Amino acid sequence: MTEHFAAPTTLDAALALLAADPAARAVAGGTDLVVAARQGRRPLPPSIVAIDRIPELAGAGIDADGSLVLGALVSHAWIASDAAIARSWTALADASAIVGSPATRATGTLGGNLMNASPAAETTAPLVVLDGTVSLRGPAGSERAIAVADLATGPGRTAARAGELLGSVRIPAPASRSGSAYIRLEYRRAMEIAVVGAAVAVTLTSDGAGIAAARVALTAVAPTVVRAPAAEAELTGTVVGWAAFHAAGGAAAASAQPIDDVRASADYRRAMIAVVVARAAAAAIERAAGRPLAVPASRWAPAVDH
Amino acid sequence: MTEPRPPASDPWIRPDGIAKATGQARYTADLAFPGLAHAKLLLAGRAHARIVRLDTSRAAALPGVLAILTQADVPDRRYGSFDLVLDRTLFARDVVRYEGEVVAAVAALSPEAAAGAVAAIEVEYEDLPAVLDVEAALAPSSPLVHPEIEAYRHDPNIAPVANQASRSTIVKGDATAALARAPIVVRERYVADMAHPVPIEPHTVTADWSGDRVTIWSSTQVPFYARSKVAETLQIPEHRVRVVVSHLGGGFGGKCDFHFESHLAALSRATRRPVRLVLTRREEFIAPDKVTHAMVVDLATGVAEDGTILARTARILLDCGAYASDTPTLGQIAAMMIAGPYRIPDVDIEAICVYTNRTPSGSVRAPTGPQACWAVEQHHDAVAARVGLDPVAFRRRNLVRDGDEGPTRQRHEGDGAIDTLERAVAAIQAAGPLAAGEAIGIASGWWFSMPAASGAYVRIESDGSGRIVTGAQENGTGAVMALPILAAQVLAMRPEDFAITYQDTDAGPYDGGSSGSQTTFNNGRAVLEAATDLRRQLLDLAAIALEASVDDLELRDGHAGVVGSPDRRVSIATLASSAQDGALLLARGSGLPPQGPEHDASMCVGRLGFEAFAAPTFFCHAARVRVDPATGVARATKVVAATDVGRVLNPTGALGQLTGGVVMALGNATLEGTRYGDDGLQRNASLLDYKLLTSADAPEIEAIFVEHPAANGGPYGSKGVGEPPIVATAGAVANAIAAATGVRVRRLPMTAERVWRAVTTGDDGSAERNAPFGPVTAGAAR
Repeated sequence: MTEHFAAPTTLDAALALLAADPAARAVAGGTDLVVAARQGRRPLPPSIVAIDRIPELAGAGIDADGSLVLGALVSHAWIASDAAIARSWTALADASAIVGSPATRATGTLGGNLMNASPAAETTAPLVVLDGTVSLRGPAGSERAIAVADLATGPGRTAARAGELLGSVRIPAPASRSGSAYIRLEYRRAMEIAVVGAAVAVTLTSDGAGIAAARVALTAVAPTVVRAPAAEAELTGTVVGWAAFHAAGGAAAASAQPIDDVRASADYRRAMIAVVVARAAAAAIERAAGRPLAVPASRWAPAVDH
Repeated sequence: MTEPRPPASDPWIRPDGIAKATGQARYTADLAFPGLAHAKLLLAGRAHARIVRLDTSRAAALPGVLAILTQADVPDRRYGSFDLVLDRTLFARDVVRYEGEVVAAVAALSPEAAAGAVAAIEVEYEDLPAVLDVEAALAPSSPLVHPEIEAYRHDPNIAPVANQASRSTIVKGDATAALARAPIVVRERYVADMAHPVPIEPHTVTADWSGDRVTIWSSTQVPFYARSKVAETLQIPEHRVRVVVSHLGGGFGGKCDFHFESHLAALSRATRRPVRLVLTRREEFIAPDKVTHAMVVDLATGVAEDGTILARTARILLDCGAYASDTPTLGQIAAMMIAGPYRIPDVDIEAICVYTNRTPSGSVRAPTGPQACWAVEQHHDAVAARVGLDPVAFRRRNLVRDGDEGPTRQRHEGDGAIDTLERAVAAIQAAGPLAAGEAIGIASGWWFSMPAASGAYVRIESDGSGRIVTGAQENGTGAVMALPILAAQVLAMRPEDFAITYQDTDAGPYDGGSSGSQTTFNNGRAVLEAATDLRRQLLDLAAIALEASVDDLELRDGHAGVVGSPDRRVSIATLASSAQDGALLLARGSGLPPQGPEHDASMCVGRLGFEAFAAPTFFCHAARVRVDPATGVARATKVVAATDVGRVLNPTGALGQLTGGVVMALGNATLEGTRYGDDGLQRNASLLDYKLLTSADAPEIEAIFVEHPAANGGPYGSKGVGEPPIVATAGAVANAIAAATGVRVRRLPMTAERVWRAVTTGDDGSAERNAPFGPVTAGAAR
């Protein structure tokens, strides 16, 4: 049972509270913490520091260098509705648009999704392929940046030190002729958790016919969201087309070590990794080429992909 | 029956609608009680084990713990649903037979103290071999779920033996001989997993003992039945038990029968406080004995070269779980469903209810119907393909028409089966061209109405407003909320002129509860009879007031008046006021239930009342489904539900039933299904991993009502409408998947992985290990 609850309104106050009580946990939307407690998986912590009233964590904007900066408290619903994100950092919009339910998206935050460090977290893989970094704020004004790819160290575990809070996420401006997409295997269209998911970011060659650069990250196939270098190698330097997309999918599937559980068998998961990687690559290419493909890409049914 | 249908406002706003939509409605867990104690059940957590030692002393000594009860604290007697098989006790006596079996119940000052006490109860188990496979369970060498079954009392029409709780057959002619003569015989196996009703409100019970009486607020669909079982199991007279239901947060059959009312009554008696139990979602999945039946259906159908069905044999194995519950009756229904509304000269179908060490099955909405219809309607498409007929032509050739004979020679009334087929097919084909990977599937079926005793009072208050006092139970369908429509028509009043007192066994007369699509059918009849009596009372009063003959009077627009003389009239309010000085305007109704159809069940065994279907509803569902062959995800894009309900009494309510039924059925078809581990424990007892269809997934649903009133139906020739809408959708989706992919999935639910596997490997899923199959003796190795 929770015996201490604080709701500071400044970042400094929150950091001081967290520093003073090692057992304290920060909570923003509460969509992971409260649900886990209700399901009996993990009791509520004895001490809670609610950070949802801290304006310094709530902002969002585009820096002078074109980077997107999102405060930890930015909600999934806000991300999914923002035109600039849909245009330039589309994989993140794809992911935010399909987190949980409308209620989850209105309440749940980007910072919470990252710090909860679930291997099935929707926003992580898009931020990994978009080269995002997080700013970790610590006691006495400390601040350090680490790549989103390095943040989670295992299920529920992060590289953040005791007393550190995720302050914001920075995503660089995309290169020209680039596009991104996140696709999740969905049994249903709401209240879903990723069985497998894939984010792909690509940059086309100047003539638009080839792939100059590609990044691939996979959701829910390992203890953390992981890059898929073999899939990236299949895409990079090749001619745009389903042959390349399928090769990437096959490479990703071959390198993954999926598990058997109640949601899917390992062999189905492996086959689906190939499907979501190929489709995410195809969707990212469509966007890089300037052809519209609506958010979320998970709802896209490609005419030919098999 | 050519009387006009009662007027319903359009759109009809149900009397409880505003309170529910605005959050004002109080459900059982919302009720506040001074001095309330909190209950928690100790559930077995294992499939099959002997209790070697059970010690509650340490737990009882914990702070805040008020009482801990076990079987030693209640009358030691066995009971069973509808006395079919008296195979269970309130608490485990010596053996636990499924993971949700109640071992002990705690009452404490806080939910946390109750949970702590449950965790502190010391139980030592000796695991027994678990029976987890319905086929292996019937082998002579199988371990037994109930070794003492021969000593159990049971319904005289069945003979429980070994792991077989019951066997029922539907037989006409000589199907074996007819199959041997048939030029073409198609044999198939279909297998369904267990599924759950999943009401949003979990089971909740608060009991408060005062003097020699106990009041029980329970989230039950069947208050009178629950009352009778409390009286039976605790050995107290029924009149000392009052069962009250607050608003019910859904039931879908899962809250039929009797669950925790006696446990809570006993806790309240022991603590002298009101005590409340609210199941957690996980407990809701594993403990109540109401899940849909995991089922194995082996079918053989003989057809002529032209596609005319000649004969059918079938064996249905129903996984009834650890206790028989009402499954013996439902097995007979399953057999009738496998016969279906088809002309089949020779029929031999047997249904065997098999004990296993799983959560007991029971009367979830249209029990056995969706699985059976899914199996037999896929089978019909397979047979049609074998003789080169398209699915529609095959059904046109074989569906019953007016005057045709049913599987026990009942005479069908009306062309509802054919009409719903034609209407559904026309509507689905009008929905435009098919997309890539999209196909159409259809499924036809039938379901019974359930004539039963039911009572209501209707009275007119002194100001002319009305009140219906009914024993009927509103489970959310709106059936009770719509009773004023029936009374208002007879009394020339408006539906909104009536208030309803309901869901209290101390107030209304007996009703069977919200089950069997029976509320409007039976309680509607009761309300109509009472209203008709009141109408006579009003006319008698008016005759005096207007100095006219009763024969010259009519009720119209809230008045009694002389026919043809608009000026000679008196308002019902005036009559009601004058009645306060004399005989009150007070009526009761029940009415004899309509007769079931004549039939010949002389060749059937295990007869429990469903050898023929009374006033059957006919329906055809047509589904457009788009299959993603790479992932196996199948999504319905449109469903047409054409249903012959006899007579639509309340268009808004009937539409709600059809729409909700289709949505529920779509979840059953592709998403739901319980996954079992080899240890006999549910693996997905949560809403994250037991996936219901969400509103974001619901396709366009078109409801079509066909009206062929039944001579022995409910009010105005109506038939039951609550359960039929869930029956045919999965079959239609299955046939669409087969049409889209060229392969048939013979396992329900047709999950993405199963569709993918069928497409990529040809494996139809029927041999996959999961309930109703499993390891023969999972516990033996321990």
